[in-house]
Amino acid sequence: MSFLKKVANYAQEALDAANYLTQGLAVTFDHLRRRPITVQYPYEKLIPSERYRGRIHYEFDKCIACEVCVRVCPINLPVVDWVMNKDTKKKELRNYSIDFGVCIFCGNCVEYCPTNCLSMTEEYELSTFDRHSLNYDNVALGRLPTSVTSDPSVRPLRELAYLPEGSMDPHNVDSLKPRAGKLPAEIIQGLKETDSFSEDKQELVDDSENLDTLGSD
Amino acid sequence: MTIASSTELICFLLLGVGVVLGSIGVVLLENIVYSAFLLGGVFLSVAGLYLLLNASFVAAAQVLVYVGAVNVLILFAIMLVNKKEDLKVIKSLRLRRILSGGVCFGLLFLLVRVVITTNWSLPGPVAIGEAATERIGEHLFTDYLLPFELASVLLLMAMIGAIVLARKDVVYLESTPESDLKQGLIEQAQPTLLADKPTNS
Amino acid sequence: MSAGLDLEFSFSQVLQGLGLTPQLAHLLWLPLPMLLVLVAAVIGVLVTVWLERKISAAAQQRIGPEYAGALGILQPMADGLKLLVKEDVIPAKADGMLFTLGPVLVLVPVILSWLIVPFGQNLLISNVGVGVFLWIALSSIQPIGLLMSGYASNNKYSLLGGLRAAAQSISYEIPLALSVLAVVMMSNSLSTIDIVDQQNGAGLLSWNVWRQPVGFVIFWICVLAECERLPFDLPEAEEELVAGYQTEYAGMKFALFYLGSYINLVLSALLVSVLYLGGWGFPIPVEWMASWLGQEVDTPVIQVFTASIGISMTILKAYLLVFLAILLRWTTPRVRIDQLLDLGWKFLLPISLVNLLATAALKLVFPVAFGG
Repeated sequence: MSFLKKVANYAQEALDAANYLTQGLAVTFDHLRRRPITVQYPYEKLIPSERYRGRIHYEFDKCIACEVCVRVCPINLPVVDWVMNKDTKKKELRNYSIDFGVCIFCGNCVEYCPTNCLSMTEEYELSTFDRHSLNYDNVALGRLPTSVTSDPSVRPLRELAYLPEGSMDPHNVDSLKPRAGKLPAEIIQGLKETDSFSEDKQELVDDSENLDTLGSD
Repeated sequence: MTIASSTELICFLLLGVGVVLGSIGVVLLENIVYSAFLLGGVFLSVAGLYLLLNASFVAAAQVLVYVGAVNVLILFAIMLVNKKEDLKVIKSLRLRRILSGGVCFGLLFLLVRVVITTNWSLPGPVAIGEAATERIGEHLFTDYLLPFELASVLLLMAMIGAIVLARKDVVYLESTPESDLKQGLIEQAQPTLLADKPTNS
Repeated sequence: MSAGLDLEFSFSQVLQGLGLTPQLAHLLWLPLPMLLVLVAAVIGVLVTVWLERKISAAAQQRIGPEYAGALGILQPMADGLKLLVKEDVIPAKADGMLFTLGPVLVLVPVILSWLIVPFGQNLLISNVGVGVFLWIALSSIQPIGLLMSGYASNNKYSLLGGLRAAAQSISYEIPLALSVLAVVMMSNSLSTIDIVDQQNGAGLLSWNVWRQPVGFVIFWICVLAECERLPFDLPEAEEELVAGYQTEYAGMKFALFYLGSYINLVLSALLVSVLYLGGWGFPIPVEWMASWLGQEVDTPVIQVFTASIGISMTILKAYLLVFLAILLRWTTPRVRIDQLLDLGWKFLLPISLVNLLATAALKLVFPVAFGG
């Protein structure tokens, strides 16, 4: 009897295996009809989000050479080259540089800069033939990147969360159509309009739900 | 001479040269891997000879069994134990060579004598070609049933031997940890070598 | 059964009309089907490579080749051209002769096996009596080539890959042969033509897959293992063995391996369709359709029609199976070597033996349904 039971168990296991295999095949087959997520890079580019932490932009004229950026940097990366002008008793800035081969783009310097002379850009194409050319001086740091949306040779694509409501494919989307959900500024506007605190909270919950559904769409 | 028969002759000569040179190479080459590969070539040429004799089933069986199984196993054995070590100097190598050469030439002489003295009936019986498969099957299960079954018993014995040898290795490995209890269990299990290994389920 | 389209006969008739001897006509005819099949095999490979790349891309939500020709259809050609002009590297300490001979020994048996693939009643190179047995015998030569190239590369990954490939194809050859044997037992012949004829009595319903479902599954698994397709691609497992026995190969020699593996895949799919899916047979027999339409089967128009339906049905079935193989590739994870050998020896071998016995018993009990 136990032999028969063994055979039955064996057959059951084989059937289960076949069943799981079929399920797996169904999943793979289902993927065949989904939209390719490929972005054809040099011709198409995703629009970086508003808070994208790309290459750092620096305005020489605003800088007071306080070296806060150096102190808050995890590895003291920015090089601030200044001399004390004896006559005016003021710091005189000569050079400023950041080596993007070493930078981890944490954004601490931007966060702490007292004069807002540092800011994050949306530039991420930093590859060079020589790693030393990643060491940007104040001139290079002062250049503004070409925006993906204004580059005529590039087709800008919105990321999934930035697509208008109901559309899944970033191609052929009307560039004027707003993204689904509210922008942070609109949320704050909404909060200001409602007076009572509890209602505020309710609104926040509503918005977060709204965002969630957008993300999983 | 027609095109067909001359093609046949050329094929026969090529295959014959392949068999003879290949076998000489198998014996004489220093590198054992070359010998093994050449042996495969010899088997293939013999299969080609069978094809020329209109025995396609035997040819295919030759390829399947000798090239596909025997030769691959030989290669496997060689490649798994391919250690480079110097051979020991054998005493009285000369005498041994003379002796083995004598035996080989004696055998060759016998074979040649048999070839000469046998009354070959030429042309032999007509090849039955494609019907050979059925004929072989019929013969195997009627006239040659006993040798056929004996061969299968022989193979079974070889298989059991191989399993026992392989199992001993397993027992030896498992007995290395110093747990007497486990050793006892293994010794108990030894009479039932062919039984299923107890599974967890 | 009708004779179908007999091109050879017509060809030699035409040549003899021009005043040639029948022998010479036969000699002129001989290279034509071989050339045709060689070209068909290579085109089949190109199509398969393109399909593999496109379907793989779709399964991973990518686009796949796009720029070489419309929908990237010329991409396999570009790949082949690239391999053709690449430098032919032989590693310094490799064994040059065996290194060159290895890929040849892998490719030639596979191409030879196309000898027995029928696309119609008379549309095959040679109706050899030993038929499928020839294929099984030829495919057993392959491991020698793999071992040869693995050994000659003088590289531990290559050797391991070669040994794995040989072990794998030996273990899966046996259940493969046994499941073929069950089919052969039902059709009373080794010839592929007879096997297909036997399945086409009642169209779709008389296909072997209904009478041999277990054999079909075993055969398909074994064929995947023989072709070293995922989940059985251990001989070239990238993560462990770099590329197995192909590690040291570049240029045209690598292309031979590549070509060999894809020709083998197409060939295996064709043979599955021949052995189990009714070969060139249309789901509804053409003879029935002809009789419904009140046509004679032997009229030239119907013959050409039958032949073209046969060819397209064979190719369609084969490519459906190729599609399944590609789908399986992206579904199943690679098995371990011990699992592979376990599956071969402990699962497929006993099951295929039982299948063979059951087929024999059913043949004795129901000789009508199981080819008495």
